[in-house]
Amino acid sequence: MLEIENLVAGYGGVEVLRDVSVKLSAGEIVGLLGANNAGKTTLINALSGMVAPMSGRILFEGRDVTRLTPRQRVELGIVQVPEGRLVFPEMSVRENLQLGGINARAKPNRSRQMEAVFDLFPRLKERLSQDAGTLSGGEQQMLAIGRGLMAEAKLLMLDEPSLGLSPLFIKYIFDIVDRLQAEGLTILLVEQNLMLTLRHAERCYVLERGQVAIEGPSDVIQDDPRTRSAYLGL
Amino acid sequence: MGLLYGVSGVVNFSHGDFISLGMFLCLALYSALSLDPYVSVFITVPVMMALGTLVFRFLIRPMIGHQFLMIVQLTLGLSLVLQNGILMVFGGQPARTPSVVESKLMILGEVVLRVPHVIAFGVSFALAIGLFLMLRSTDFGRSIRAVHQNAHAAALMGVDVGRVQVLTFALGIGILAIAAALLLPGTPIQPTQGLRYTVITLLVVVLGGMTNFVGIMLGGLVIGISEAFGTIYLSNTLGALMPYVIFVLIMLFRPQGLTWSSSR
Repeated sequence: MLEIENLVAGYGGVEVLRDVSVKLSAGEIVGLLGANNAGKTTLINALSGMVAPMSGRILFEGRDVTRLTPRQRVELGIVQVPEGRLVFPEMSVRENLQLGGINARAKPNRSRQMEAVFDLFPRLKERLSQDAGTLSGGEQQMLAIGRGLMAEAKLLMLDEPSLGLSPLFIKYIFDIVDRLQAEGLTILLVEQNLMLTLRHAERCYVLERGQVAIEGPSDVIQDDPRTRSAYLGL
Repeated sequence: MGLLYGVSGVVNFSHGDFISLGMFLCLALYSALSLDPYVSVFITVPVMMALGTLVFRFLIRPMIGHQFLMIVQLTLGLSLVLQNGILMVFGGQPARTPSVVESKLMILGEVVLRVPHVIAFGVSFALAIGLFLMLRSTDFGRSIRAVHQNAHAAALMGVDVGRVQVLTFALGIGILAIAAALLLPGTPIQPTQGLRYTVITLLVVVLGGMTNFVGIMLGGLVIGISEAFGTIYLSNTLGALMPYVIFVLIMLFRPQGLTWSSSR
């Protein structure tokens, strides 16, 4: 479904990603691991169209999307739930969700999608008119994911969903992630939390200093001593 | 102006000169076709909006994100261009644009009101409410607020941030065209007046906290009332000073302007 070929990308002329190649098949959960600054968020931003690649290609459902704008990518179904949630603080839960479904493909189905989101996250329905900035971290994460779902994603990219959440909430969110996959969504999971990712993702890539250091099925990676060293930046 | 700053960080110092342009366009339409400003506004609004879009796309957009002072310089330069352009076309003499309602008066009990002022008040109020409703209840309004609160996140939802910025600017200019038509009846106009309007607007917007809609509305009231009462109870020149005095006082004790904790 998604193929990243030899991607080189960065900010202001400085390369962060050097020759990264990643593949995702429909319906998988794939983990993207690595220490801080390994390039995980840059890769996700490149997929979302927020960072223009210096070289390399991105193919989505067989189509070259490398030059498409962020808006066009959302319309194709490539949706990011950003690190730190980034909910709109002075807009209500309802408005945040409505904004999630603002792209042309998702707009007609907005009310139906909202019901689906409430089904998944009943807590959001209770807080419908509350300003997003007043929600707790876990509730904001629910909102951010709900917002991403409103966009009718085909590929959902989650950037550090466990950040700042209590263990209870983390379990809740990741159960939802599993459930979404069961319903057919393809998920790219960027996480610093090694064990959590290995448990929920079937395959993983480990990025180290902008390159894919290790890739493979999660159980293989788990036992690979290189994983820990890549992680600790050694 | 507040909306524009909120979505693109640009303060448009040629604000008043666009008003001025609107007024002169009305004047031109009057001389050419004998159109009353209240009628010619239907022509000036689309024309100015088109002009605004071009200006934004080619002049202002390339500068977004650059140093604030450079943007100020750019719009100040634009202000000069507009002023002198108007001067070249219309000459330097103050001119009047007659209007049907110019000298009509409305009498409510003991209060005498000039009709153009009443119309201006009514239309401005309606526009303000309309703008507020648009921001609150339409997708476009929501995308404006989203871009203001977090442009990166808005882009991730598929909002075309660039388009929102252009449209906000064009919308602003269109509103200025309406303001021009409202202010015109009964006022002699000249090419250099733009600065006056820019300053008043800046005062109101800064007082209101730059992007806080209600704050700006309140700011407008404060400035307007302080000027009106100033000229009534003190002398004319001291009265004109009042808004500035009040502005300085408020900013000294409350630098964030008329905002409160729920807004920024």
